[in-house]
Amino acid sequence: MDILAQPIEVDSAAKPGFARPQLDLELRNIRKRYGDFIAVDGVSLKVRKGQFVCLLGPSGCGKTTTLRCVAGLEEPDEGDILIGGKEATRDPPWQRDIAMMFQDFALFPHMTVAKNVAFGLEMLKRPKAEITARVDQVLKSFEIAALANRKPGSLSGGQRQRVALARAMITEPRLLLLDEPIGALDYSLRETVMLELKLLQKRSGISFIWVTHDQNEAFSLGDLVVVMNHARIEQMGTPEEILQRPATAFVAGFVQGNNVFHGRAAGTSDGLLAVDTALGRFHVSSSGSAPAAGTAVSFSVRAEKMTDLVGDEHGNRVSARCSAIEFFGSVRRHLFERSDGEVLKYDQFGAQAARIELGQLVTIGWRADDTVLHGMAG
Amino acid sequence: MSTIRVRSSASYWLALPATVWMLVVVVVPIVLLAWVSLWGGRSLSPTSPLTFDNYAKFFANKTYIDLALSTIGHVLLLMGLTGLLGYCIAYFLVMKVRSPIWRLVLFLAFVVPFWTSTLIRAIAWVPFLGVNGVINRILLALGATHAPIEAFLYSRTGITMAQVSLYTMMAAGPVVYMLNAIAPQLREAAMTLKAPPFVVFRRIVLPLTLPGIVIGQVLVFLNVMSDFATVATVGGNKHALLSNLVLLFYEGSQIRAASVVAVLLMLCMLVGVVAAMRVVDIRRLGTDR
Repeated sequence: MDILAQPIEVDSAAKPGFARPQLDLELRNIRKRYGDFIAVDGVSLKVRKGQFVCLLGPSGCGKTTTLRCVAGLEEPDEGDILIGGKEATRDPPWQRDIAMMFQDFALFPHMTVAKNVAFGLEMLKRPKAEITARVDQVLKSFEIAALANRKPGSLSGGQRQRVALARAMITEPRLLLLDEPIGALDYSLRETVMLELKLLQKRSGISFIWVTHDQNEAFSLGDLVVVMNHARIEQMGTPEEILQRPATAFVAGFVQGNNVFHGRAAGTSDGLLAVDTALGRFHVSSSGSAPAAGTAVSFSVRAEKMTDLVGDEHGNRVSARCSAIEFFGSVRRHLFERSDGEVLKYDQFGAQAARIELGQLVTIGWRADDTVLHGMAG
Repeated sequence: MSTIRVRSSASYWLALPATVWMLVVVVVPIVLLAWVSLWGGRSLSPTSPLTFDNYAKFFANKTYIDLALSTIGHVLLLMGLTGLLGYCIAYFLVMKVRSPIWRLVLFLAFVVPFWTSTLIRAIAWVPFLGVNGVINRILLALGATHAPIEAFLYSRTGITMAQVSLYTMMAAGPVVYMLNAIAPQLREAAMTLKAPPFVVFRRIVLPLTLPGIVIGQVLVFLNVMSDFATVATVGGNKHALLSNLVLLFYEGSQIRAASVVAVLLMLCMLVGVVAAMRVVDIRRLGTDR
């Protein structure tokens, strides 16, 4: 795709009334409730110019409601929304500098592809000739020129996705809001589309806010990943930060490949916090102020940081019986039954020879430095 | 058990009862009607010579032509009134009433009257519109008029008022159906593409409900064209439309003239339906192609 090959005017400082041109979007303490149900609870977020932000979370966590508040399709009960530094909380959708892509694409069924794509420009009252030329150009760059006179009903999922994207991007909005934009596509198509969208986003300089429940999408696309749960932001950071240093037990459990342990703090020695859990005492590296003895804490260890070749440096050890082995090619995942009913995960590089058999009792160990104490970061 | 394939003999056998029924109660009577309308000569018998004299007589009479024209005018007026009112009601029910319970209550309030026959509902207007009727009493009580308004009953106004109430839901029903079929995301997508509400209505909602409008208009058109009962009861003997002319000729034993008017009435309806089908192809509804 070669969309928006020509440079886009991004010099928003030239437009009047921009107090903080460095931010494309700022949410300040957004709250939204439906009756007794709190959909969004105190969400604050800053999106820098041209950032790719992924809102990640399970269904019902408030990510879509947050996005709809940004679009103006829902009005927050409290809080402020600034788009390009300009207060927009009470602006209707048609006065905001945004475009939105819907999960089922929401193409207008009675209009041709060309008419669908032209709609945004027609709303901006651009001259007819300019609209025609621009639509031609965009259809070409999205490789859908051949579909110009077709109706959406006769298109495949992938084609609809391109039309929806072309329609949303043709007006070159400051923000593009995407609500599970590839959730309706075949699985085989998603990877290609994700790569295209990432390149497109970088080239266009438009900030993307991408809502998804799929962590693969979020971690491979996002410059900034915002993990939400129960209407609140649990953690935000780069994919590395969230994968390597989950801030809460929820994030650690939601992100694949973490072993989460719950217990009580039992004093510090040599910079290591001792934690008593149902599986025994473990030592956790804690930077900064350690929690007082007796307080409930949780920590996590990534499955690939575990080892069955236990040495002196692996101060934390658990004996468990192997209940399942899954081979993914790059990794071999072993599942062990933990005595607290949870499952212990241990990932071995797929290239190494298998060492553990099903049903075998194995001692698994890990270093205190590889544990992440929750509630400390972010 | 096997499924029935298209063009298998079983599908033809299944279509047989309905085909026979339609032939006996629709096709044969229409053919007979058309045949009788062409009977010439002095006596009424199947041996009469076939001629267009009866039609010539009808078109030679200015009174009949005026009646036909005023019928068309009346039908157009009703289509306009019921179309506008019906669309507003449908839009209100689907878009504005948020509570499902209220929507059901209001929908029933609009639909329940349809459980009574059209004739009864037409007659029920008489005590409302009369000189001593409900409307006049209310107007007098409110001091809006000093003398009862006679123009309501036995007048065009009265007929129009009654027919609007009888047929508005016919115009609204198909629109309700089409409005319900519009996904809310379509309107939201238009709004995020900078379309203010009225433009969303004009560019998205209206075109997508057009089939419903046309179907509603066809229903109103056909019903008003053939509605002699309301005209007879609310209009008294002072007013007539083409359909009343059929009754008039029939009661006067002028079977050939009655047939002529009936055939012309059917032709008008046919033209109307064909015109509507050119705007909206009902067979392709719901395929969104």
